[in-house]
Amino acid sequence: MWKSWKFWLVMSGVVTVVGVLAYGFTVNPKFVKSPLLNGPAPNFTITRLGGGETLTLSELKGTPVLLNFWASWCLACRDEAHVLQAAHKLYEEGQGRLRVLGIAIQDTPEKSMAFARAFGKTYFLALDNVAGDISLSYGLYGVPETFFIDAQGIIRFKHVGAVTPQLVRNNLATLLAPNDEGKQ
Amino acid sequence: MSSKRITAAMLAGGFLLPLLFAIPAGALTDQEALEKKVRGITDQLRCPTCQGISVNDSEAAFSRQIRDKVKRMVREGQSEDQIKAYFESRYGEWILRAPKKEGLGLVLWVLPGLLMLLAGGWIVYTVRRNARVNGKDAASEAEQPLSKAELERIKRDVRLFEEEL
Repeated sequence: MWKSWKFWLVMSGVVTVVGVLAYGFTVNPKFVKSPLLNGPAPNFTITRLGGGETLTLSELKGTPVLLNFWASWCLACRDEAHVLQAAHKLYEEGQGRLRVLGIAIQDTPEKSMAFARAFGKTYFLALDNVAGDISLSYGLYGVPETFFIDAQGIIRFKHVGAVTPQLVRNNLATLLAPNDEGKQ
Repeated sequence: MSSKRITAAMLAGGFLLPLLFAIPAGALTDQEALEKKVRGITDQLRCPTCQGISVNDSEAAFSRQIRDKVKRMVREGQSEDQIKAYFESRYGEWILRAPKKEGLGLVLWVLPGLLMLLAGGWIVYTVRRNARVNGKDAASEAEQPLSKAELERIKRDVRLFEEEL
């Protein structure tokens, strides 16, 4: 049996299939490799929810950006709302070293505003247009998704799902490090 | 109105009337061509939020937005390759339902055909070998002289046959 080429052919097939399945089980589905990683963040101009203030991403160069996509109908967005607000309070309002932006997708201004009020969000919130131009330019699969953009406007990390304090702290530690070149 | 004028008016009408119908018919064809091209492209793109279906077959919000975006890009004059390249640059090769015919993707395209060729070759080889072996066996058996016992048995059978007659 051990010398039969048929035995080894079948065995190599079994090993290949088991190997592929084993690899699939070890991969974290929340870590989605994006072609945008380590590349320039697509530029956009957004208008603040409930106000006329506009913001263009490219004008924020020099300051790292925490860009979060969310929606009022998204349950996981409720879980991370306080984390993002805390990051805004600590790093943006407290230290002025970060911009936190939240873009609601596939939503209405009324519902987005109501969500923001309910969760006490005070950072810059905006709404993507009906065509989803910003969502598609960032290759979104859903919400929430969060992009960590360094001071040079390069996307260094992307997270799919609700962010945790630890995840935000770890990634911002790299982005906000003194003499940071923004590289992980 | 003279008969000449009536004839001229009828002739002019005969030429102009089809043109009136031709304009909307042409516009409809353009729209259909656009829709067909958009369908052709969105059929090749994977719905980001669904399980294994194309953007064309999905009614998810992202799929609708991608369809609209593709339509706009086609109207702007972008080619199919340019549009696919745009979505690949945002979502990665994952967004393409068929693997690209280069690198590892080329292996995926070639491997099934190669395996079928190998399997076909193996079947032909096995069938021919078996036919050859069986043919040789039959020929070698035919070449063997009958044994005494076989001759006796044939004679006995012939005798029995004659007696029954």
